[in-house]
Amino acid sequence: MSEFLLELNNFKIHFPVYGGILWRRIGKIYAVDGVSFKIKPGETLGLVGESGCGKTTVGRGIIRLFRPTAGEVIFKGKNMSALPKKEIREIRRDMQMIFQDPFESLNSRHTIGYILEEPFLIHAIGTLKERRAKVKDLLERVGMQEQVLTQFPHEFSGGQRQRIGIARAIALNPELVICDEPVSALDVSIQSQILNLLLELQEEMNLTYLFIAHDLAVVKHISDRIAVMYLGKIVEYANADTIYEHPLHPYTRALISSIPIPDPLAKREREVLVGDVPSPRHPPPGCRFHTRCPIAIDRCRHEAPLLGPLPGETDDSHTVACHRAGE
Amino acid sequence: MTLNPLTIKKIKRFKSIKRGYVSFIILCFMIFVSLFAEFFVNNRAAIVYYNGNLFFPTYGNMKSGTSFGLDYDYETDYRELSRRFKAEKNGNWILMPVVPFNAYENDLRNDAYPPFPPSLQDKHYLGTDIIGRDMVARLIYGFRIAILFSLVLLLVNYTIGISIGCAMGFFGGKFDLFFQRIIEVWSNVPFLYVVIIISSIVVPNFFMLILIMTFFGWIGMTWTMRTITYKEKAREYSLAAQALGASNFRIIFKHIIPNTVSIIVTFAPFSVSGGIVSLTSLDYLGFGLPPPTPSWGELLQQGWSNMDAYWIVGSVIVAMTVTLITVTFIGEAVREAFDPKLHTTFE
Repeated sequence: MSEFLLELNNFKIHFPVYGGILWRRIGKIYAVDGVSFKIKPGETLGLVGESGCGKTTVGRGIIRLFRPTAGEVIFKGKNMSALPKKEIREIRRDMQMIFQDPFESLNSRHTIGYILEEPFLIHAIGTLKERRAKVKDLLERVGMQEQVLTQFPHEFSGGQRQRIGIARAIALNPELVICDEPVSALDVSIQSQILNLLLELQEEMNLTYLFIAHDLAVVKHISDRIAVMYLGKIVEYANADTIYEHPLHPYTRALISSIPIPDPLAKREREVLVGDVPSPRHPPPGCRFHTRCPIAIDRCRHEAPLLGPLPGETDDSHTVACHRAGE
Repeated sequence: MTLNPLTIKKIKRFKSIKRGYVSFIILCFMIFVSLFAEFFVNNRAAIVYYNGNLFFPTYGNMKSGTSFGLDYDYETDYRELSRRFKAEKNGNWILMPVVPFNAYENDLRNDAYPPFPPSLQDKHYLGTDIIGRDMVARLIYGFRIAILFSLVLLLVNYTIGISIGCAMGFFGGKFDLFFQRIIEVWSNVPFLYVVIIISSIVVPNFFMLILIMTFFGWIGMTWTMRTITYKEKAREYSLAAQALGASNFRIIFKHIIPNTVSIIVTFAPFSVSGGIVSLTSLDYLGFGLPPPTPSWGELLQQGWSNMDAYWIVGSVIVAMTVTLITVTFIGEAVREAFDPKLHTTFE
């Protein structure tokens, strides 16, 4: 078994676009187009990027809510795309997901008790008594009272619901938890509570997180390593501190300069990007960022840069996909 | 089972819409009365007290005249027996139903031809139809058949429609495409012609008529269910269930269908009134249930061709109007109470 819990190699998810009179496939949306990264057990990888860049699709593709078009997902040394359906179901026990919108992710027709019991029911774990005990234990772990068991999701606030969502995700003792923007729907004051809860749980249960977010401040707080995505591709990948201190890619630099500084007197240089994200249906040729890049040269328009260390360096802990990086 | 507080709220809201709630009570009462119509409208007595014994002839096998000291072996004529007991005055008594006729017997007279107008004395409170059958009995038993028919039809239609619609929405792709085309072709088959052809070959009975009607009726629900399922399937709670490794079966039945119930419930009352109307119109045209089954359509037909017997056409139209209005009011109130958006107000 390799030292990595999860490995993505050239992972692609394309969605077909249908149209015309005969409803034929007339195009593709390149939602995720060749993403590779590795996560060690116990680590947190932050995946950032603006909306529509394919972060969520990566998460859902790993857990097989979407079928990957190409590429490999190697989880615990097993290539998921080669596994039969039955084994994928088994593997899902070790891989869970926390969803973005706590108002959507809990079925409003079930009690909290049932929602938390369901993972055990699905995998036929334990007797009724054992299941109840486990549910109580779960509630305790996420810091909720026992009496919520008979209540329904709409009776809770967003933060409480997200705690329930987290409890459901950790119910089966997973190894990898994919957090799909778990705090972006919450109040700022609640965000830190939930983040701390996630960190506590990580320590307690030795969880590995793939933390998807668009908020760099949040990601910085929680991640060991960070991957920045733009239009279906990773443009920069490095240790969390490195990426904040020495961002190499112009896109990363723009993102970091957009983090608000809680000091009205602080001087700051802002790199404001102009224009919109191009449609993932017709991604620009060459470097996908060249339409908005302040330092784009002619080469960027024709030749797509590969993700790799700076020229002349061998350390692959900090990789970037830019022709002009380091200049 | 604990009821979801949201459901309780919906029920409360339904109750607060007076027009719908009152209609609901009226309809329930009508259904209740019609289900136990044998006690209220029957030519058999409800209770007979004869020589120290109590008899309840309403249900069960017929009692021959000899068991009450009469000189014939066929079924006792309780109306006759009642008159006889009264004349004898030896302590025997009979409790007759409010309307002492059943829906099939012809109450004929020697000196006149039916239809007979309403008369309290004869206990034909709404008169008789053109062959001397009591109108009240025909109406109530006809109502029973019509409402049962539309309820069974609803159940069968919705079971098929929901399963296929749900499957179309859930599995999508080729399956969805295939069934869409099938349904489009299917819904263009002219329903009435098929019914006419079938009933010219065989005489349809209750279940066959249900079968024929379901043959075309299931389509309506599939479109709705397909759309809702597409929507619910993509919502995060069902993705969460999928991520937990839940089977398709569990996702459909535990997650998606419970979330569509409020929409299904909204459609149900209108389907019921639709069922009643279609059975009545088929009967009116003569392609429905075979005579002598009590039916409103047949009465309507009689009334139409005997306009001078105003009580026939009048009572059928009143009965139909009341039934359809109550059902529609219920439907309206249900729709209002289950409205997820609550944009409209209902005062």
